[in-house]
Amino acid sequence: MKNIITVTWYSLREALARKVFIFFFVISILTIIFVGLILYLTGIEKMFAPGMQPDVFTAVNSLEMMFVSPITLICLLLSIFSSASFIPIMLEKGNIDLLLSKPISREQLLLGKFFGGILVVFLNIAFLILGVWLIFSLKFSIWNFEFLLTIFTITFIFSILYSIIVLFGIITKSSTLGMMIAYLLFLIVSPALYTAKYTLSVLIQSSFIKGLIDFAYYILPKTSELMGKINYDLASGHGITNYQPILTSLLFLVLTLGITVAIFRKKDF
Amino acid sequence: MDFNSIETTGLTKVYSSSFGKRKVAALTGLDLTVSAGTIFGFLGPNGAGKTTLIKLLLGITFPTSGSARILGEDISGYKIKSRIGYLPENHKYPPYLTGGEVLDFFGKLSGMEGDLLKKKIDELLELVNLSQWKKTKVKNYSKGMMQRLGLAQALLNDPELIFLDEPTDGVDPIGRKDIRDILTELKSRSKTIFLNSHLLSEVELITDRVGILNRGKLIREGTVKELTQKNEEYKLNLEGSNVDSFIKQYQGIFQISKLNDGYCNLKVSDANELNNILDKLRGDGIMVKEIVQQKNSLEEIFISLISESEKGGLK
Repeated sequence: MKNIITVTWYSLREALARKVFIFFFVISILTIIFVGLILYLTGIEKMFAPGMQPDVFTAVNSLEMMFVSPITLICLLLSIFSSASFIPIMLEKGNIDLLLSKPISREQLLLGKFFGGILVVFLNIAFLILGVWLIFSLKFSIWNFEFLLTIFTITFIFSILYSIIVLFGIITKSSTLGMMIAYLLFLIVSPALYTAKYTLSVLIQSSFIKGLIDFAYYILPKTSELMGKINYDLASGHGITNYQPILTSLLFLVLTLGITVAIFRKKDF
Repeated sequence: MDFNSIETTGLTKVYSSSFGKRKVAALTGLDLTVSAGTIFGFLGPNGAGKTTLIKLLLGITFPTSGSARILGEDISGYKIKSRIGYLPENHKYPPYLTGGEVLDFFGKLSGMEGDLLKKKIDELLELVNLSQWKKTKVKNYSKGMMQRLGLAQALLNDPELIFLDEPTDGVDPIGRKDIRDILTELKSRSKTIFLNSHLLSEVELITDRVGILNRGKLIREGTVKELTQKNEEYKLNLEGSNVDSFIKQYQGIFQISKLNDGYCNLKVSDANELNNILDKLRGDGIMVKEIVQQKNSLEEIFISLISESEKGGLK
């Protein structure tokens, strides 16, 4: 465990040494300042008519999500880009030799790197969401603690995508393929499968095609739903109504990590 | 010391291309033992398999067949590495860390912590003359400084067995002497040092035993003395009025030839023949002032063995 913590901590150092994460941090600060200025200078509360008190909670929540969603999306895309090279750098000749010459198992090394990447994104996302939440809460005196759960859903989405990057990083010793697949899954495949399964399925006649869509939908992670419906439901206090996207995505994450560890354990350097 | 720090039996590593079409034998059936408390020099041309052996012993790569033990334990476990130090060739350290932080990171990975680690870091930085660079980021280090930091890193956990792959690469002559002194001091503390190096003159100076590898096969192993001595060739320093006539008289019988300043060169078939000649010299009233067994340099032997091996003369 001590070894994992050491590698995690130094992965965090590696991440902080990169300019993209500083950029990420700056975006978060600017977003928080921007939200603060809008709320305190524009008198946005006037849009809530007197007598609408029960709906203020929903309105505030919507506003919070309106500010946070696009920023977290950008931050996620930046995080994928920035963390993609963690594994290839670790596998460089002269670096991996040294790491593997120490009394640390390959599993510990890999998990340390994995958690390090996740930790840095978690801290960045937490900073952004906590900042926005605090400003809204102070302004409207509505302390929507459920909104903070989005920190975990967004970190979870990143960890799924990062597991793909780590897997392809170990196989190819390069960041390109893993990054491309992560972007493809996040931006195209997951939304497309969700739409195909829940919206277009009525238009599809072929049971083979339907089966194929179902198969792909269930085995691949549902980043689209996690980022959209589940994130919003959690933030607005509705809780989780359907655990299937979370559980199947978690299974995908565990399997991907398991395969990565198995490959890494046998790999020659 | 009466145990072996390294033992390999039939150790073989064959690298395959991605689709297994092309296979390259990096190491073939290596049987090697390195006694504890010695400095072992491992020599060979580029691509001979020297680094592959170290990587196999450290679990960085896996053997195709054969077995190996280090410090009495099978190489498949990782915990034994807490007793081992390693300086790889072309090592890379995170450029955003300072020299002190690099040692802190690798010290923690070696199971060290707290004040003990801090003290050890300061001690080692002092040893390799990098104390004043402790808080400088390693991206600003020169090649020589990186090597010295690498050596400090390899010694962090006070290892019993130390693998050094080209430790003096990029280091200036004074730095090289410092590293040699450190290695000699480590040997005096019963550490075993396995040294891969191209600098044969340095290997000759500090190693107890040497192994020469070519195309994955160990072609010769022995002490530096065993490898470099010319068994039946001697240089004699003679004094007497009839030295010239003696040489003329026996030139056709023995392989004796005159050199400068009273010296002559003598080749004999064995010790008996050498003693016969010495008797004859003394019988003729010639004083034998000095007898020196002739040696090759390690470099000469290395080149000759590799050339012979390439021609298929050595197996």
